Amino acid sequence: MNRRVVIKHMALAVTGLVLLPGCDLGSKKAAAQEMQPFLSPDQEGLLAQVVDTIIPATDTPGAKELNVHLFVQKMVTDCYEKEAQENLVNGLDALEAKAKKAHDKAFDACSAEERIALLRAMEQSGDTGEQEFYKLVKGLTVRGYMNSEYVMMNLTHYEAVPGHYYGCVPVDSKTLS
Amino acid sequence: MANIAGDAAKNRTYDAIVIGSGISGGWAAKELTGHGLKTLVLERGKDVKHIKDYPTTSKNPWEFEHRGQLPVEVKKQNPIVSKCYAFYEGTEHFFVKDAEHPYVQEKPFDWIRGYQVGGKSLLWARQTQRWSDFDFEGPARDGFAVDWPIRYADIAPWYSYVEKFAGISGNRDGVPQLPDGEFLPPHEMNCVESFFQKQVASKYKDRQVIMGRAAHITAPQPIHLEQGRAKCQHRTICERGCPFGGYFSSNASTIPWAARTGLMTLRPDSVVHSIIYDEQKGKATGVRVIDANTKEEMEFYANIIFVNAAALNTNLILLNSTSSRFPNGFGNDNGLMGKYVAFHNYKARISAEYDGHLDSTTDGRRPNSPYIPRFRNVYKQETDFLRGYAAGFSANRRSVTNQDGLGADLKQSLLNPSLGGWSVGSHMMGETIPKETNYVALDKSLKDPYGMPQLKISVVYDENDEKMTKDYLEQMTEMFTHAGFTNIQATNTDRAPGLDIHEMGGVRMGKDPKTSLLNKWNQLHACSNVFVTDGASMTSTSTQNPSLTYMALTARAADHAVQELKKRNI
Ligand SMILES: Cc1cc2nc3c(=O)[nH]c(=O)nc-3n(C[C@H](O)[C@H](O)[C@H](O)COP(=O)(O)OP(=O)(O)OC[C@H]3O[C@@H](n4cnc5c(N)ncnc54)[C@H](O)[C@@H]3O)c2cc1C
Repeated sequence: MNRRVVIKHMALAVTGLVLLPGCDLGSKKAAAQEMQPFLSPDQEGLLAQVVDTIIPATDTPGAKELNVHLFVQKMVTDCYEKEAQENLVNGLDALEAKAKKAHDKAFDACSAEERIALLRAMEQSGDTGEQEFYKLVKGLTVRGYMNSEYVMMNLTHYEAVPGHYYGCVPVDSKTLS
Repeated sequence: MANIAGDAAKNRTYDAIVIGSGISGGWAAKELTGHGLKTLVLERGKDVKHIKDYPTTSKNPWEFEHRGQLPVEVKKQNPIVSKCYAFYEGTEHFFVKDAEHPYVQEKPFDWIRGYQVGGKSLLWARQTQRWSDFDFEGPARDGFAVDWPIRYADIAPWYSYVEKFAGISGNRDGVPQLPDGEFLPPHEMNCVESFFQKQVASKYKDRQVIMGRAAHITAPQPIHLEQGRAKCQHRTICERGCPFGGYFSSNASTIPWAARTGLMTLRPDSVVHSIIYDEQKGKATGVRVIDANTKEEMEFYANIIFVNAAALNTNLILLNSTSSRFPNGFGNDNGLMGKYVAFHNYKARISAEYDGHLDSTTDGRRPNSPYIPRFRNVYKQETDFLRGYAAGFSANRRSVTNQDGLGADLKQSLLNPSLGGWSVGSHMMGETIPKETNYVALDKSLKDPYGMPQLKISVVYDENDEKMTKDYLEQMTEMFTHAGFTNIQATNTDRAPGLDIHEMGGVRMGKDPKTSLLNKWNQLHACSNVFVTDGASMTSTSTQNPSLTYMALTARAADHAVQELKKRNI
């Protein structure tokens, strides 16, 4: 117990130091800054609806509240080839069009079930672009959600400093995270 | 020096100069200052102070913009270093970017470097095994390269010396080809690893699976606490720099220790251009440096020079140090400098699954893994290739989630993972044979941003390496099969040399000045006040990781240098 407190304090002390200048993140920063977000405000709003359909709010926050849509956009901007950005834009447009066609309303206005069905249609679409869109957004949404501070701290109980390794513990004594 | 006026030169005069502040240079600095020598440490990269200059060390996963992944632009700009497994969003600031420090790949060679105070000691995987007489006697026995001028007995006490200070964890396993050391308590094996250990022991008399020996403080001794280092916290993000000093790095250990003596001057941003030779005195008198920021050229002087720029850069500096006495490079009378470069063969890996021990799992994290010492051609030549390979091995159990769903269902399954089976894996670490045709040289026309000639690297795998790779995959498949592992995937990655980051040779040790460049004390045969104690000095490569041996050789050579200085021999 005491030891844990000490470690926490040490970690805090170190975090404080991290804010000092001299933290040279080099070329990545430059590269990241050059790129502009490529989604219009409307598209960004739609993306937020999409991530929140994939992981909705229940008794805990959903993906939108955790800003996972911003993470998805950031990743597609910085870590993927241009085609993925086009694919994201096209996919969002296609999704909106599908909603209009099937339900005569915006994706935003559809019920949770309707939205899920629309995404499923993208997954199972004969169009490889739509399939790719689904895979990309779902994969990044899961990643952004699972690696969000809220989920890691409150739901999966991430510990930066386990301080130990036990090679053989009975399965039932260990809670999974 | 007499012709250089007064104070200015005096202010730039030291007892010893160390070129490079990485794993070997850190040891040179510690030993030389420890013996009372006023020592200048020249480092081409920026300063990295322990804790203060580890910008990502305490970041949580969600604090990385891209959760660790590197932007596409960074990868495109850095095709070489991007191949290194340890290069990611949390560590990229400690790696050399491709464009900033160009070199010539006459043959494909992925040269991975860390230019900063601490060098690659911040980034390394901390595996530390002693070499044995099976390694030091290898060239003489098998008839390649040249005979080492030393044997295990010469270096054994120095292994003990550096191990105690650095802090090495491990078991005393009693394996003849892998001598035991001064160990702190070992990390723990998990159920499937010990299961495999037993399976291998039951089938093969000559093969062992042991816990890796690693530079981690598992139980701090007074000497570690005195360095301000603490017990390893199992964060397993070592390569970002450890605020606890839980693993050995020059930054946490040797460099601050040297600084404490008050005798060390550390000069970062100082690219050593060449070593200065004084024909009248018949010895080296100092080094030429280019200030990395101002590009200004300057000179520093000393009685003893330790060259620890990491193997290939040490070759570069020496080849670039020409004079009328040494027109082909410093101490290069026989023309062998830059030749007989060798490395390790990490080409192959294997993975599998295991569905036993399902009632057990692991808890926590471990910055280390088991190791299989070399078992091929140890006592006699028994295969169609020379020498052998060691292997890494590990097992782990991961949680799995069903990600098919969408909406609340998906959320539910993401937050309730189940335990999957065990996965196991191994990678090879083979010895390569130093050959004259594997060389580095200076490019005749291309220069780097500091006006130094670019290094031209011409190093390839050969047939021996291919045969060895095949044997590793066959033997490991057999061992995995025997253990009952399933879905075995054996892969020859066909990667280019370099990525093992264990480049060695070019300034090899030996008995005879006609066939080697350094004597048994790591002194240049042709100039006894210049010492080379990093990977460049290796006569052959062993299958074991090399850095512990660089540390031991450095401490030994520094001790010798001081004795020789006292006797006025240098
Ligand atoms: C990801 C990774 C994993 C590794 N894992 C292991 C392992 O498990 N076990 C093991 O034994 N080894 C491992 N290594 C290799 C290990 O890091 C090196 O063997 C070791 O650091 C070499 O020590 P060194 O002193 O020769 O060079 P370095 O530690 O690289 O230090 C050389 C220093 O010299 C400086 N320098 C170069 N040129 C000049 C110049 N012209 N002027 C001034 N300064 C100069 C450099 O900037 C650098 O700081 C690993 C390396 C990496 C990157």
